[in-house]
Amino acid sequence: MAQWQEVQQLPPTHLERVHQLYTNAALPMTVRQSLADWIEDQDWQQAAEPFSSHARMLFHSLLTLLGEQLGSLGPGDEDFMLKHNLRKARIDLQAAFEEHPENFANLVANLLQEERCILRRAQAKGQVEATPAPSTASQSSQEQEIQQRLTEFRTALQEAERAFRHMEDLQDTFDFSYKMYYRPGQDHSHDPQYAQHIQALQAKLQSLDRQRREVVAQIQQLLGRSETLRDFLQQELSAWHERQQRSCLGAPTDTCLLQLQGWFTALGEGLFQLLQLLRAVGELRQKVTYEQDPLQSELPLLEKRLQEQLTCLLQSAFVVEQQPCMPNTPKRPLVLRTANKFCTRARLLVRLHDRNHRMEANIHIDRDPPKTRGFRKFNILTSSSKTVLVGDSPREGLVCDFQYLTLKEQKGGGSGKGSRGTNEGPLAVTEELHLITFTLAYAYCGLELKLETSTLPFVIISNNNQLSSAWASVLWFNMLSPNPKDQQFFTTPPPAPWPRLAEVLSWQFQSTAERGLSREHLHMLAEKLFGSKPPPDSALPWTKFSKDGAAGFSFWAWLDGILALLHDHLKQLWKDGLILGFVSRKQEKKLLKVKRSGTFLIRFSESVLGGVTCTWVEHPESGPPAFRAVVPYTAAELASLALPDIIRDYQLLAEENIPENPLLFLYPDVARDEAFGPYYSQRQEGILTKKKEYLNQRLIRVSSRQPHETWQTQEELVMTTEDLETLRLNSGGQQPVSPGTVPGGDRTPGTPQAVSPGLQQAVAAGLGMQQPGSQIPVLPSPQQLGSGSLGVLQTGMGDLGLPVVLQVVQVGPGGQGVLPIGGGAVGPLLGSGTAELLLGNGAAELLPSGLGDLEGLPLQEPELEVGAGQLEATELLPTLDGAWSRWVSAGGWGAGGSFSADPPPPFPLPPFPFHPIDSAVLLDPSDPFLPQSEDVALPATASLFTADGDFPPLHIDASDFQ
Amino acid sequence: MLLMSHRGGHQESKKKLEISPSETMKAEEENYKEEAKEPKSEDWRPPSVFGAADLKNRAVGLYNIGQTCCLNSLLQVFLMNIHFTKILRRISVPVCATQKKKNVPYQMLLLLEKMQCGKQKAVSPRELVLCLEAHRVTMFVQYDAAQLFLTLWNLLKKQMKNPELVEKLSDLYTISVQEHLACQICSSETKRNSSMLSLPVPLLDSDSSMLKTLEKCLQCFFRPEELTGHNMCFCEHCGKKTPFQQSVKLVHLPQTLTIHLKRFCFGRSAYIHKISNCLPFPQDLDFNAVLTEQQCQAYDNEKAAWKYELFAVVAHSGTTSYGHYCAYIRSLTECKWYCFNDSFVEQVSWDDVKSTYGHSDLYWGQTAYLLFYMKKQPQ
Repeated sequence: MAQWQEVQQLPPTHLERVHQLYTNAALPMTVRQSLADWIEDQDWQQAAEPFSSHARMLFHSLLTLLGEQLGSLGPGDEDFMLKHNLRKARIDLQAAFEEHPENFANLVANLLQEERCILRRAQAKGQVEATPAPSTASQSSQEQEIQQRLTEFRTALQEAERAFRHMEDLQDTFDFSYKMYYRPGQDHSHDPQYAQHIQALQAKLQSLDRQRREVVAQIQQLLGRSETLRDFLQQELSAWHERQQRSCLGAPTDTCLLQLQGWFTALGEGLFQLLQLLRAVGELRQKVTYEQDPLQSELPLLEKRLQEQLTCLLQSAFVVEQQPCMPNTPKRPLVLRTANKFCTRARLLVRLHDRNHRMEANIHIDRDPPKTRGFRKFNILTSSSKTVLVGDSPREGLVCDFQYLTLKEQKGGGSGKGSRGTNEGPLAVTEELHLITFTLAYAYCGLELKLETSTLPFVIISNNNQLSSAWASVLWFNMLSPNPKDQQFFTTPPPAPWPRLAEVLSWQFQSTAERGLSREHLHMLAEKLFGSKPPPDSALPWTKFSKDGAAGFSFWAWLDGILALLHDHLKQLWKDGLILGFVSRKQEKKLLKVKRSGTFLIRFSESVLGGVTCTWVEHPESGPPAFRAVVPYTAAELASLALPDIIRDYQLLAEENIPENPLLFLYPDVARDEAFGPYYSQRQEGILTKKKEYLNQRLIRVSSRQPHETWQTQEELVMTTEDLETLRLNSGGQQPVSPGTVPGGDRTPGTPQAVSPGLQQAVAAGLGMQQPGSQIPVLPSPQQLGSGSLGVLQTGMGDLGLPVVLQVVQVGPGGQGVLPIGGGAVGPLLGSGTAELLLGNGAAELLPSGLGDLEGLPLQEPELEVGAGQLEATELLPTLDGAWSRWVSAGGWGAGGSFSADPPPPFPLPPFPFHPIDSAVLLDPSDPFLPQSEDVALPATASLFTADGDFPPLHIDASDFQ
Repeated sequence: MLLMSHRGGHQESKKKLEISPSETMKAEEENYKEEAKEPKSEDWRPPSVFGAADLKNRAVGLYNIGQTCCLNSLLQVFLMNIHFTKILRRISVPVCATQKKKNVPYQMLLLLEKMQCGKQKAVSPRELVLCLEAHRVTMFVQYDAAQLFLTLWNLLKKQMKNPELVEKLSDLYTISVQEHLACQICSSETKRNSSMLSLPVPLLDSDSSMLKTLEKCLQCFFRPEELTGHNMCFCEHCGKKTPFQQSVKLVHLPQTLTIHLKRFCFGRSAYIHKISNCLPFPQDLDFNAVLTEQQCQAYDNEKAAWKYELFAVVAHSGTTSYGHYCAYIRSLTECKWYCFNDSFVEQVSWDDVKSTYGHSDLYWGQTAYLLFYMKKQPQ
């Protein structure tokens, strides 16, 4: 479109500038309008140069044209004003510029340039407004700046090309005249015409020379601007690298490369275009050159500068888009296991390529391995080279995608069978960092380069139990290493400043369970690590983070255990903020002290790896408030019964009163069922009309305590089976707040006694776990258990298929009387309504034990005929004997094997408050769903991200993370 | 001699043409003379001494007439400085034509007038170049900007006849320092006052490691140096060669402060190579924050005025042996940055100026070489 037309279509604000431009201009707008096309076609710039004969010619042409225009206008009145204006303009112009037409040329040239300038500004503004339509709000000023500079760069490039074409014209003219008129060697002293020609020739050469210098200056300027632009892109790219690194660590950031690719490609295109232009200029120099030819000296400089810019741009544009990652642990990239497949992908952000040139990318592992003793060497199995795929859509871009790679360790020839043995280096396997380097042979527009980029350092493990500590290394490196390629980082790992570490730890929770750590959480962790009132500049050394730990495991192992627990069992509760989680004992008391009795909070155990516990407060009538905590639940317990259900049905057995659920209000003050209602597992309502073959069953957890014990609670898993209704719980009146949610209340008329016949209970009681080597055996103590004391709610018929495998509880035909008990460990059940259970004394202080992996109590489906009233008097029968002996035989007991033989003492033993007694459930070694007894002790390092088949309970499907 | 050679498709027609450039130049000069004649007749003073152009130094390009990018950049730095042009406009015009031709301040003033009064986007500094050549400042060769700046300034100073103006020029540009030389044995101290046109600051410290900022470079420049071993000096009091401490103390800073970044280092043998590493320089520079009490030798009211803002950067791209100069100048009237690439002038932003910080990966990129700071007006 012609310039003047474009100008007229400008939005009002910019049009205003045009009006201003012409207000005081010696060239009236009428003239500009009438002769728009002709004016734009002339080269005023050149005419404006001093001593240009062109200026006079143009000036007179303009006057002539104006005259013609006047003549062509009809005699009608409608053009009267126009005719007047044109006539006046013609006279004025003639008067003003007749003497110095070059001033006129200069004036017009400047006006045209100003117009272009206004147009460009309007255009740039328009583009800024138009392009970011999808993400207007998020576009930062920096992005706008880049966009605008790209637009300006393109415009400037077009101008340079225009200037080049003008130079070409000048050169052609000169060339022609030169061939026509230049006749050296002959005697022209008497030929005045020849002298004239030579003079004209000289003038042409002068103007060619000037134009050349002009073009060179313009290209210098362009290069200068492109340097700024490249700086901007470099900054954006560095920010992206940082984002990618953070995202590897689990931070929620955007690592999309599309915008960067767009920018890099645009600048690359521009620079390659400039390269072509320079070459064209070089060709012109080949044809005509002279002494002091600016191209002679300046061109090589320009070319070098441009090539360097292009090289630099392309080098930085080659990036690893996806860091090496095993598909089954997508949340923990940069940890690779030998023989496991992994993938990685690189991308060239300058999406320019030569279709005829096949680009091949290669990968190498540890091209320059550090000279550390024992540094393992690996081979990449499967192909290490790949042709770069060229997708047509920008989304695809120039990508080399390596999938299905695997690593194999090179065994040193003479080093024997042991893979490391004497070769053991100073670094642990999980502190050894490896790199994959991508190389790409790039060729475009005659520029050939070898591009190179490297992944972030990764850790290679050979066993899944190294995953947790490998991930700790990845965290540490990416958090602290100033050099993203430093493979020797762990020879002297720096300490982590707490604020930085806190952020990274929070990301772990964010990425695992979609909720980061709060200020309070972090405060607790800081106090745990650095003592109370930690100085703000505290820093944690690497060994303290990943290696040493007072409790027998490191800080990281503890956190990772919690992460695993969260991921497997508590994701939703954590995400919804129901788990207070990281609360110190001191803080916990402070929080609960002021709350009413029955207020509880859920926190992570500090002594058990991957344990969660509830603490509640009780305000006795006299004396200070009492705080009670249940032995931490670990993944094993939670696998059989979810935490909300535990909380819902939790019972505290106490001698002096009826069992009750002490957990009434979730801290700060939410009724239990209101808080956890949505998470309770569905319980099928019994269908009264349907005759049932079996009683329903349900697993609950209870703790018992003796009247004189204030702190110890012992926990056990209680299995109840029943039909539709239940024994009434908490008949003492401490009914949970929302009765509606607790089925089996008194509301069903007539049911309580009559319809709750089959009640059976398997109690895994008293399996207090002692620390190995403890001198004092913790003995089960008999305890009274009221038959009505068990919270029992109905379970549906579908229970048969529930994964909870229940240990059979033999109920005699007729369902009454004494049930057989083996082993003599437990005295026969006495009388209706009471059962003597063996309950150990739970110690208040919970310490870690190997029993963290307890399994659900396996119970067989009781073979009870459901019949109203039939089982009326059936009492609970703990099959402790079986449980005991099985437990012992399972070898999980250590020195306590004698328990089974020991008859229970008739009286409760005094409590041993400082000996931990773990909550326990019976382990049935024959259960196919549970690990065999040899597996009792899980490795401490096993974490939720293990994907191995070794530990079915911890098996993670990759889809879990989607 | 303008020498042309013609190549291309017609190899056989390759011939040499010799046209005397002096002829054409003469012709052009005559043209100029005619133009200049008018005002010459009546005791001519530049028409706009007190006119609008005095206050409005418009950014106009200068044609490169053959390796004059260095000169052009420096001329722009001079002529865009309104404090300098105020002085320049007061010079007395030489009487005869030959003197006029050889008078650098006068030719510079003519050039300024040509730039400001004309409506061309660029003008040619031909007369000034010829004038400089008359003073043995040959053109068409690569120049070091710092050296040329000194040469130009000295010529200006020498040829300004009016002592008041000479003083003003000195005040505008010269830095006063006091050099101290103290014997480490007897503590006898010699002091010497001297003035400099620019602060030549090193980019490498004494251990040859890169300095990170301009402030660090300045601190390094004013850091006392121990002269020991081979560098020991003869002490009159001790009567023998003793170790000395040499230090430079800052006494006075001018309105326009020139800082010369010594972006070159001597490698093996005589080979000099350019340091292209990144050296950030601030837009605002407060010497009180940079130097310690001991490094200054000035009164408080002098020191209070040591607050500067960046006015111009002369940047170099290329190697030590050949390259290109351009100037980034912040127009004092418009408060906008311009980039002057010979005839090509463009408004730019601070980000563009920052691109001259340098980059260790780019050997051909543009790097700041001379920095010109302007004293801030007291609030």
